[in-house]
Amino acid sequence: MPNARNCRYGAMLWGLLVSAMPLAANATALAADPATPDREPIRIGMSAAFQGPSRQVGIELYRGIATYFSEVNRRGGIQGRPLQLIAYNDSYQPDRAVDNALRLLESDKVLLLLGFTGTEPVTRVLPLLKKYDSDHGLMFFPFTGGAAVREAPYDGLVFNLRPSYRQETEALVGELVAHGHQRIAVFYQSDSFGRSGWGGVRKALTDRHLQLVGEATYARGTMYTGSLDRQVAILQSAKPDAIICIATYAASAAFIRDARRADLNVPITTVSFASLDSVVSLLRQIGAEDQRDYLQQLLFSSVVPDPKTSAFPAVKEYRALMNQAAALPPTALLDANYQPSGYNRTSLEGFLDAKLLVAMLNRLGKNLTRASLAAAVVGMKDLDIGLQHPLSFQGRNQASDEVYFDAINSSEVAGKSAVDEANK
Amino acid sequence: MSDLRLFSKALLGIYLLFAVIALSTSALCIHTVDQELSREYQSNSEQIAKVIADASVDVLLNRDLSVLQSLVDQYLSIRSIKYIYIADENGDVIVHTFVPQVPAEIVATDRRTTASTHRSLTGIGSVIEVVSPILQGRAGTVHLGMDAGLIGLKIQSAVGREIYLISVLFIGSILLTLLLIGTAARPLHRLLSYQRQLAGEDDGFGLTPAEVTRLLERRDLAGDLARLAQRSPSPPQTNRADPL
Repeated sequence: MPNARNCRYGAMLWGLLVSAMPLAANATALAADPATPDREPIRIGMSAAFQGPSRQVGIELYRGIATYFSEVNRRGGIQGRPLQLIAYNDSYQPDRAVDNALRLLESDKVLLLLGFTGTEPVTRVLPLLKKYDSDHGLMFFPFTGGAAVREAPYDGLVFNLRPSYRQETEALVGELVAHGHQRIAVFYQSDSFGRSGWGGVRKALTDRHLQLVGEATYARGTMYTGSLDRQVAILQSAKPDAIICIATYAASAAFIRDARRADLNVPITTVSFASLDSVVSLLRQIGAEDQRDYLQQLLFSSVVPDPKTSAFPAVKEYRALMNQAAALPPTALLDANYQPSGYNRTSLEGFLDAKLLVAMLNRLGKNLTRASLAAAVVGMKDLDIGLQHPLSFQGRNQASDEVYFDAINSSEVAGKSAVDEANK
Repeated sequence: MSDLRLFSKALLGIYLLFAVIALSTSALCIHTVDQELSREYQSNSEQIAKVIADASVDVLLNRDLSVLQSLVDQYLSIRSIKYIYIADENGDVIVHTFVPQVPAEIVATDRRTTASTHRSLTGIGSVIEVVSPILQGRAGTVHLGMDAGLIGLKIQSAVGREIYLISVLFIGSILLTLLLIGTAARPLHRLLSYQRQLAGEDDGFGLTPAEVTRLLERRDLAGDLARLAQRSPSPPQTNRADPL
């Protein structure tokens, strides 16, 4: 596998990308004085995994969103109205996500839902949006590349920033095949998230007249401490020359660990849901304990640029604000043992979600209701939030198609900073 | 113990009767529960498979497989369902709930068949697999594995409860029998003591005059024998065994 290259989906990053940066995280009060009607807060509802095996996703996504909202509120809010982020924990459980969505829409009367996390929880919330169709219950920027949020009958109710898993898997398969890999296997979560990625890999291979040589599943909620030896053995017997993981960061890291221990040393790739930063952090930790290098031949697809090195204005602003006043979830949601990460792709995605949402709300002016939002959002274009291109929702419900690659080779982990080729 | 020896054949008969009752009712129970539960499970499974098949048509033709996966995952919360998988019209498994992989036994079978089968799968156990075609089989088939072990468990549970009940009745019957035997044997003991008294022997249980009067006034076999003994001359002294 080469160390760096451009690809048609975006920037291809090779080298060291993760180094934990201690961050003085300050909880930021997002709610403002609701006394005067003109300054009534704009309530935004979020449900994510703040606890359990996928907690890092929810917490970091929240930090990114809340950090930008704090900055907007500091500058006077939207038309003088502050943004209030109301978040609940669903522990990546679909039923809890549905309960939270109901609570947000019915009790908290939020303007919209933002940053819901995970394909399965989001897929289960979608019928609720349909039920609230007449009431214009909209969902913005769910943290999933699942197809269900991009196609009918929910395409008018959900708006996405990130590209789909189908696009990510198409890019990954294209990249692997371009480098001579023909025997590709897939390791995936046994639910709709995994199936979405599995379907994408299968389609991408079929389009190239290839077939999956092996597949293995794992149960949702698998912890990093769990053993995935059985899955490794199943895939090893298929003799793949590359493996694509459609998995959470904990399961991805556990699989890579167990695969390397079993001398399955083929390239292993993951999609964006398995945040590169979290996977690498876990592998570094276990690598130090085992005196073994697990950071070899890893390729990650991401839907945001490199948070540490990208020169895009939005990413620079992200770094500046995270340095100044990175937010933390409320104490009730935050696991006491959680150590906030430094710059990472998940909080950057949350930050970009918030930035795009604020750009959209600013265009609506003072007439900020669910109905006006629903009417205006379709067809919004040229929303410049400081990325490579302005973003648009014209004729579709997804703003970005950019897939970024990050490759990890241990030889480059030691000190060399990554280069965002696309930004050069 | 002498009482028990006297009635030992009757007791043995009771034991045998209870054993026959316990065995026959358990066998009947196992058969009935097995038949009924199997029929009900199969019927329920077929209904669920049909519901999934009907719901799958639109999703299969118009939407992403992840939506179908989400649909079938929701049925896994039903305790008796061990697995669900959907095969397309070519027999390829396109959605399933197996972890960590589709069992080799299923991979080896023709997945386009719509006949229900009884399978024993490695790592899963015994299942009844029912099949429902999607769009008359043109779009694929839904396969649903019901836990046959659960039926066995229910049978065990039902039989266990029945055996428990029979055991309680059995023990109660034994206690009642012993009580009745004791009641029946008491006048005979008195008769024996009376006869020994008439023969001039002292067995340590000598009757008072009032007890003798009551014995002679009895209108049963013990009374008749006592009156007969009263009228009969004293028998010669011999080494006697306990008549009971």
